[in-house]
Amino acid sequence: MRNVLLIAELSLREALRKRLVLILLVLTALFVGFYLYGILRLQNTLDERALNAGLDFDPERGRRGLTGASVAFSAIFGMYLVYFLGSLMSVLSTVGAVSGDIENGVMQSIISRPVGRGQVVLGRWLGFSIVNVAYVALLSAALLVGVHVITGYTPPQPLTAVGLVLLGVLLLTSLTVLGSTLFTTLSNGIGVFVLYGLGFTGGILSTIGQLAATPTLVTLGSFANAVMPTNALWLGASYYLQPEYVLQLNRLSRGANPFVGTDPVGGGVVIWAAVYAVAVLLLAVLAFRRRDL
Amino acid sequence: MTTSAAVPAISTQQLRKVYKGRAVVQGLTLNVGPGEVFGFLGPNGAGKSTTVKMLLGLVLPTSGEVRVLGGSPQDPEVRRQLGFLPEQFRFQTWMTAAEFLNFHGRLAGVKAAELQARIPQVLEQVGLGGRGGETLNGYSKGMLQRAGLAQAILARPRLVFLDEPTSALDPIGRVEVREIISGLKREGVAVFLNSHLLSEVEQVCDHVAFVKAGEVLRSGSMAQLLGGEVPVEVRVDRVTPDLLSGLGRLGEVQLLPDAFGQPGVQVRLARQDDLPLIAQTVGAQGLKLYALTPHRPDLEGLFLELIDTSGEQKTAGVGA
Repeated sequence: MRNVLLIAELSLREALRKRLVLILLVLTALFVGFYLYGILRLQNTLDERALNAGLDFDPERGRRGLTGASVAFSAIFGMYLVYFLGSLMSVLSTVGAVSGDIENGVMQSIISRPVGRGQVVLGRWLGFSIVNVAYVALLSAALLVGVHVITGYTPPQPLTAVGLVLLGVLLLTSLTVLGSTLFTTLSNGIGVFVLYGLGFTGGILSTIGQLAATPTLVTLGSFANAVMPTNALWLGASYYLQPEYVLQLNRLSRGANPFVGTDPVGGGVVIWAAVYAVAVLLLAVLAFRRRDL
Repeated sequence: MTTSAAVPAISTQQLRKVYKGRAVVQGLTLNVGPGEVFGFLGPNGAGKSTTVKMLLGLVLPTSGEVRVLGGSPQDPEVRRQLGFLPEQFRFQTWMTAAEFLNFHGRLAGVKAAELQARIPQVLEQVGLGGRGGETLNGYSKGMLQRAGLAQAILARPRLVFLDEPTSALDPIGRVEVREIISGLKREGVAVFLNSHLLSEVEQVCDHVAFVKAGEVLRSGSMAQLLGGEVPVEVRVDRVTPDLLSGLGRLGEVQLLPDAFGQPGVQVRLARQDDLPLIAQTVGAQGLKLYALTPHRPDLEGLFLELIDTSGEQKTAGVGA
């Protein structure tokens, strides 16, 4: 365990010293600031319209109906962007976790020390997981708090939603670490993004299948979601971000919007995603044990 | 794992590594004694680096047996007693030299208090005294190699692998590395040296193995390899039958072509101590002796003799 923590510490220090964290914080501030500015303008426009229409609007009670839905959707789509950025970050920061050190020759001097190969993989995973999870948690908090401050809107179950998003981030981190023990850095990056895209494709196919009442498409979508449950996790997270009247609105459209889900995430999906993340991590340990350096 | 001092530092039996159907190392049998400085020589593609990697547990052998310090290189307890300077000394250049050594020291299980004293010591030893606070990305290639050497000897190993340890160093640096190797030898540390600088190998190694195509062509102590017959070139004013007869009693004689109008012979002496007898024999014949030149064999000559000098191997040099 000592060596795992030592390698994790190395990864964290590397992220700090290579200014990865600094760049992330600056870009995150820009993204959150830009998005929240848009929401501020939306809020001002909605208030103005309410006043012009002579409505007795009380911001303390929050909004209802379509204006309320637009605020709720701004939070939901903001979180979707957070999830997308978090996924991007999980893959890009971790893509060379092991392969990068092999390719540049650093790994030889590490593995010749009394450190197990499994410890190196687990340490790299732990270090990058801490960075990725902290980043997405911070980004989520900044966005949701910002939306609340501007509009007074708070999603019904933000912690559950963020928890599911973080599980997706951990799954992507584990998959990227596995790829990093098997492939070159570039191949790994491409491979994980293709898998991520497969999950999203599954969501789209399911949506079309439900809309067009075509069970085959729904089955294909379920298959894709099983292979890559990141999209299923997001749809589950989005459910917890919607108030009841927005859920009803989305149900009326029979799931025409592929970016939001209208049902709570199934326990099976969560368990599968967690088991999947652990399994690919163990696979990464096994794969690296046999790899010639 | 055995810790007895009598246990060989390295012992391999029929070690073999196959990559995609091609044997890179085949049937390699080596023995390196404890505290021995061992030179591992061969042309490009001879399998030297792959062998070093198998000895360090970086590459898994296809077949055969490898024992390092009496145990398996896969055993962390064995690796705790090893030091390694890779040929391509690439390290985390975002670290300072002191941080880099601290990281490797901790990986090797050296206690923090000991590291505090040890790091300045090894930096001084490799000529980087007072430079530990600088980041490695500001280091020159030679300084990086020195930092790598410091990393290799940091945890007081019992066996050190040095893969081309002087490739980026200036002549002063090379002398310093030779001194470090000699110092390790005095401390009883075994050194496995992979170098294409044969003159350096000749100066520091006790034993040498020549490999080609993954097989050991010849191995032995320096005395065994270089201590055989000494060819001596003798230049005189004229060669007479009596001279040939007299010299023939000292060793095998061969006529040489004239050089600068002086005839000459080559005498292969069995013992270098017999050199004065050649001068005495020439003098006893009343002949004039112009030159008496012993051509002692060296590793380079032996290398060229052993390695097939045809085709690309002749031109490829000896680096791995």
